[in-house]
Amino acid sequence: MKPKPFSQLSSKPKRLLEKKKYREALSALLLISLAAGLNIVFGYFAMFFAFYLSFFKWDYIGPMEFVGLKNYEVIVKDIIRGLSGAFYTFAPFYTGLRNILLYTAIVVPVQTILAIILAVFANQKIKGVQFYKVAYFLPAVTCPVIVALIFIWLFMKNGFINYMIQFIAPGFAPDWINDKNYLLYAIALVAIWGTSGHFMVSFLAALQSIPRDVYEAAMLDGAGPFRRFIYITLPLLRPMIVYVVVMGLIGALQMFDLAWVMAGSSGGPGGAGYTIALDIYNEAFIKLRPGVAAAKSVFLFFLIFITTYVFQKKYRVLPR
Amino acid sequence: MNTIRGVSKTTSIIIAVVVILVIVIAAAIVLTRQPAPTQTTPTPTPTTQVVTKTIEKTVTQTVPTTVTTVTTQVTTQVITTTTPVEKVFIRFAGWSAGETEMKNYEKIIKMFEEKYPTVEVKYEVITQMFHENILASYGAGVAPDVFYLDSSWAPIFIEKGALYPVSDLLGKDFLDQFYDFLLVPFKGNDGKIYGVPKDWSMLMLFYNKKLFEQAGLTKPPETWDELLEYAKIITEKTGVPGLAIYLGGFNRYMPVALSNGAPKPWFDSPDDASWFDNPVVKETMAWYINLYLKGKVEREKQGLPPYVVAPQDVGAGWLGDAFGSQKVAMVISGNWMIPFLADQFPDFKYGVDWDIAPLPKGKAGRVTMAYTVALAINAKTEYPKEAAELVKFITGKEGQRILVVKMGHTLPSIKGLEEDPNMWPQHKKSLSFVKLYDHIQIFLWGPKSGELEGTISDIMASAMRGEISIDEALNSMKQAVREMFGG
Repeated sequence: MKPKPFSQLSSKPKRLLEKKKYREALSALLLISLAAGLNIVFGYFAMFFAFYLSFFKWDYIGPMEFVGLKNYEVIVKDIIRGLSGAFYTFAPFYTGLRNILLYTAIVVPVQTILAIILAVFANQKIKGVQFYKVAYFLPAVTCPVIVALIFIWLFMKNGFINYMIQFIAPGFAPDWINDKNYLLYAIALVAIWGTSGHFMVSFLAALQSIPRDVYEAAMLDGAGPFRRFIYITLPLLRPMIVYVVVMGLIGALQMFDLAWVMAGSSGGPGGAGYTIALDIYNEAFIKLRPGVAAAKSVFLFFLIFITTYVFQKKYRVLPR
Repeated sequence: MNTIRGVSKTTSIIIAVVVILVIVIAAAIVLTRQPAPTQTTPTPTPTTQVVTKTIEKTVTQTVPTTVTTVTTQVTTQVITTTTPVEKVFIRFAGWSAGETEMKNYEKIIKMFEEKYPTVEVKYEVITQMFHENILASYGAGVAPDVFYLDSSWAPIFIEKGALYPVSDLLGKDFLDQFYDFLLVPFKGNDGKIYGVPKDWSMLMLFYNKKLFEQAGLTKPPETWDELLEYAKIITEKTGVPGLAIYLGGFNRYMPVALSNGAPKPWFDSPDDASWFDNPVVKETMAWYINLYLKGKVEREKQGLPPYVVAPQDVGAGWLGDAFGSQKVAMVISGNWMIPFLADQFPDFKYGVDWDIAPLPKGKAGRVTMAYTVALAINAKTEYPKEAAELVKFITGKEGQRILVVKMGHTLPSIKGLEEDPNMWPQHKKSLSFVKLYDHIQIFLWGPKSGELEGTISDIMASAMRGEISIDEALNSMKQAVREMFGG
């Protein structure tokens, strides 16, 4: 016998069902409310308060004083001064901005390409592939501060990295951490090492969802492995590439932990490891100008928002 | 019908969400809000004074005791009633130099609570970025009642009226027991004292006796020129760098400047940038930068071993590490290095392998740097008297015997503990240097000492590495001071 359609049920079980649904909704709300409440207080409230704070002068102890766009003026002046070649301590925001843009330009492409390559390898049917997957992913589950501390030792003038370089380029032994020409690259290297494995997993998932028959058709048409990679794998990975690049941009532009550990709060030699996030911290807690710090945070937010928005707009694959 | 129900359902969900959020936010506001200040004026009603404290939702315990209250009415009368007196809670925040220190503080607090049974102290340890945390807690209105205060941060708190004048509560007799130069940073413009130093440290010269012997040197250097000369001799004879200094380090340079006759530094207006125009400052700054520039950077260009290094050049984390692992022969550091050496390098023995000496003399005398941390009381505390008793208990002679002398991390800030049997011999020797100094400069040169230290040190470090010239560095320092104070 076919079950009666919903509308034909008698009113009593119908009301019971409604009650059940209502209960379900209530319990769902109760379960969500803790996370949502925390998120609102510590996430959204903090965000809106930072935006509000960016128009005020404050010293934590006394009352807040409205100053309009003065805090943003500090940023503009800083950038103008930096562009006209001031010593790095006099244009800290510009120093941080310049460094972080260079850092992002290195880290994001390299980590994305490396992650694709690692994922393609991990997707092969080779013996012991599981071991490689774990090995690649291990850096992603390691605390970045600890990673940075270990790398400081590896990067020492007489450290392991310079030892290895001697076999490739004899005579080239920079003092990575203490030389302003190499510090940012050293930090970038650690970041790439740490994040590639993480994004590899994303690519691996995307690769495994590519149907086999596409490859088989291409093979029948006589396409070699390289052409298959260029004409099938890459285009089909495009949505994932966009995702990884966007996530990479967000992470790289607000990098703080690695710079803090490897370069120190003042950015190391010549401010070479100074980032916007470090500058925001220093503004808030060393110079005690939380208003300016908030304005710089707003600037960083728009920097991240615009770059990721433009990138997505341009490269996102529209659903067919 | 279905659509109507659907709409009403979504609306009800939205309403439910809003209600829950309002409850959460309201709860947050209630929990963080400070209670209204209790009335201190005697009320005509015959009630006993009930002391309450609700910061941080602490459950108040009640202890029934007999309390006598004197009410000043038109007809003065004495009322004796038996009512439960609620305990006074005091929040005390500090950082910690390790587990032993934390345990010692807990012990002292227990002793204090035994002496004052109605007071309960909540000890909070903030391990990282202490003063930043305290400032943020002021911003949120939940600052602790008693907290550590580093000398370099003192003016920020005093100027903003964040601290209670402890001299009003503790009296002259108590404060007179302290080394007077330690009280200077905590003195407000009104002449009141806003913090009681809990301990202190000063810079001194640490030298490796064995390396000195190998180099044929019999005594520590007496003048700054001798220091440099000795560093060169040691490097030549033993191959070990003679001296290690930090890249930058404005406060480490300061004794050199002051002992050669530079005016005492104080920066609180754009005009104070002229300090860097003083010929003595210019000369000594060049000398200090050249220690590294000539002793390390230029020596290595010529392929010679450096006679001055920074800790990282010899694979050490800081000066204590470099000295303890005997990779350098001399460092200038503070008392904090003494327990570190005893703990980390037990085979490197004081008196046999290494010793301490007062800082070298300059043309105008002998000067050292001192660093001190005080206990300060929140201006908004509800229980200033109880807080002051706690400060007195911790910084008093008996407290310092346990917390400072026995611990051996720092020096006691109170006079008369020099001969205590528990005093470490190294610290005792360093205290004997006090009378040799013409001036002891506290780490404090204006309301922005910390920021200034950072900026000027960065500029010094650039010049030490040879990235900018010494003249450029001096000009940048002047510009930094002018800008910091709005010039």
